[in-house]
Amino acid sequence: MQKLSRDAKTELEKMAVQIRRNVLRLMKAGRTGHIGGALSVVDILTALYFKVMRVDPQNPNWTQRDRFILSAGHKCLALYATLAEKGFFNHAVLDTYGALCSRLGGHPDMHKVPGVETNTGALGHGLSIAGGMAMGLKMDGCDAKVYVIMGDGELAEGSNWEAAAAASHHKLDNLLSFVDRNHLQISGKTVDVMSYEPLDERWRAFGWGVREIDGHDMRQIFENATDIPFEKGKPSVIIANTVKAKGLSFAENKVDYHYWKATDEGLVIAERELDDIEKGIN
Amino acid sequence: MNDLRDPRKTFGDALVDAAEKNQNIVALSADSSSGSGLTPFRERFPERHIEFGIMEQGIIGFSAGLATTGKIPFVVAIAPFVTARPFEMFRNDLGYMRQNVKVVGRCAGLTYSDLGATHQSLDDIAIIRTIPGVTVLNPGDPVDIVKAVHAAAAHVGPVYIKLGSPKMPVLMEEDYPFQIGKGVVMQEGSDVTIIGTGTVLSKAAAAARILKEKGFHPRLINIHTIKPLDRQLVLKAAAETGKIVTVEEGYLAGGLGSCIAELLATEHPVPMKMIGIDDLFCDTGPYEELLAQYGLQGEQIAETVETFLA
Repeated sequence: MQKLSRDAKTELEKMAVQIRRNVLRLMKAGRTGHIGGALSVVDILTALYFKVMRVDPQNPNWTQRDRFILSAGHKCLALYATLAEKGFFNHAVLDTYGALCSRLGGHPDMHKVPGVETNTGALGHGLSIAGGMAMGLKMDGCDAKVYVIMGDGELAEGSNWEAAAAASHHKLDNLLSFVDRNHLQISGKTVDVMSYEPLDERWRAFGWGVREIDGHDMRQIFENATDIPFEKGKPSVIIANTVKAKGLSFAENKVDYHYWKATDEGLVIAERELDDIEKGIN
Repeated sequence: MNDLRDPRKTFGDALVDAAEKNQNIVALSADSSSGSGLTPFRERFPERHIEFGIMEQGIIGFSAGLATTGKIPFVVAIAPFVTARPFEMFRNDLGYMRQNVKVVGRCAGLTYSDLGATHQSLDDIAIIRTIPGVTVLNPGDPVDIVKAVHAAAAHVGPVYIKLGSPKMPVLMEEDYPFQIGKGVVMQEGSDVTIIGTGTVLSKAAAAARILKEKGFHPRLINIHTIKPLDRQLVLKAAAETGKIVTVEEGYLAGGLGSCIAELLATEHPVPMKMIGIDDLFCDTGPYEELLAQYGLQGEQIAETVETFLA
C-alpha cells in the first residue's frame, strides 16, 4: 500500500478547502444547488484528481486517462469546483453557474464541460457506464482505471445492482466505486427511507472487494484508492462514511441542506468557516 | 416473392461481415445470443461477444461506456426489452451522451404473436424516435437488413434497428443504393401513394399489386428510415398523387403514419389513411392470422385503400 506523506496530506487538505471555496463561488453565482452531497464528496474528489488519477487537463480526451464518473450527478458542484481547480477550464466559468445557457448546469454535461465523462443526473446510470468503460479499456490492454462516486440513497435504484453483478461477472478489477455514505437523502435518513444495510455484506455478496473508510480522511482515501484491486480479479468498492455538507457547521448532517437556496449572509458565514478550517490545517 | 429469408440469420451474418471489416464492432447479448442470430458472431469472434444475461437496463449503460472507448457495440435482444424497458438508459446514456451504439430490437411488432402484449413491440418506433439524435431504421426486407447493418456500423451515432422474425420475402434489388434517410420508390403511380415500412412492407407491396391489377395506379414507397424521415420524397408523393396511405406493424400513435402526418399537416396537407395497430393491447394467435385481425394482410390493405379512394 502506498503511503501518503504528512506534507502531501496537508497539501490535499488545503486543496480541499480551496475546492470548497469554489463550491461557494458556484453557489454565489447560481444561488441554488445540491450543496449537501457536493460537500460530502469534495475530499474524495480532491484526493482522486490531485493525487490518484492519471489525467491531463490540457488533453481531456487523452485515451490513456483514468476516468471519473459522478453517478450521483446532482453533486456536480463539487465536480465543477475540482475540474476548475485542476485546470480543465477557467475559474471564471464558475461564475456562470445558474445563468441562461451556462456550460455548468444543475447536472453535468460531457459535451459542455471539459473533463466531464458522462451525462449523469438520473440516478442508477453511472456504474453501468463506468463498467462499460472499464471493460473497453481492458479489451484494449489499457491500464487506465475507472473511478465512480455513487450516493448512498442512490443505491435504491435496482440498475446499480445489475451493474454490480456484471462488473463482478466480467472481473472488472480496474473499477473502483465509492459509496458516499452521508446517511441522508432528501426525505430523511437513508436507513429509514430505504435501507441497504448491511452495505458491506451486500457488495461482498455481489462479488466486490470492499473496504470502509472515513471519507474525509485524506490518508485513508489515498491509501485505499491507490491499492486496487482489493481482491484479485474483482471490482472494488469503498464505503466512505461522510458528513453531508461537510465544512459548513450550520448545515452539516441536516436534510434541509440537501438543496440549498443560499443567502448572502449564509455565504459570508460559510466563507468564514472555510477560513477557520484552513487555519487549523497543519 | 419466393425468395424467403430468415431476418435474424440475415442480421447475424451481416454483423459478422461488418465485424470482419471493422474490429471495433462488439456484440452484446442479454441472454439472447442464439435467438438474435449471433451464433456465427460468437463463434467467429468469441472475445468480441459479451454476455450480460437478462440485464436489459445495465446492458445499455455498459454499451455506452464501451462506446466511449471506441468500441461500436451492437446490443441485440427482444425488441421491447431493449426499448421500452431501458428507455431512460437509451435516452440518457445513448441519446443525450451521443454514443456510437447500435440497438437491435428483434422479434418486433407482432412477431411474438403467441406470447402476447408483454413481448410484442408496437411502441418502439414511437418512443425511440422522440430521442434527439437517434437514427431509427426499420428494414423492409432481407436486402434492407444487410444494408441497414452496414449503414449503421458506418454511421457515427446511436441507431435503433427494428427486426421481425418470420421469414421475409426479398423485395429490393441486392445492389440498390441504400442510404440512411432516403426512402425508395418501388413502384411509380399517380392515384395514391402507399408507404410501407419494416415487416409489413411486403403486405403493402402485395396491396399495390392487387390495386394495379384492378386498374389503379398506386405509387409504392419503402421507408426503411423512420428517422430522419425522407421529407422530400414524402412531400413529392403528396403533391403528385394527392393521397397517402401508411402501412406499419406498430401503433398508429407515434409510428410511421404519425411521422408522415406531422410532416404533411404542416407542409402539404392531403387526405391520409393510416393502417396499423390502434390504441390497444393485441390478442394472441398465429402470426399471419393476427396480422389479418388488424387489417394488415395485402388483400385487406388493398380493400382499405380502394375504399379510401372511392
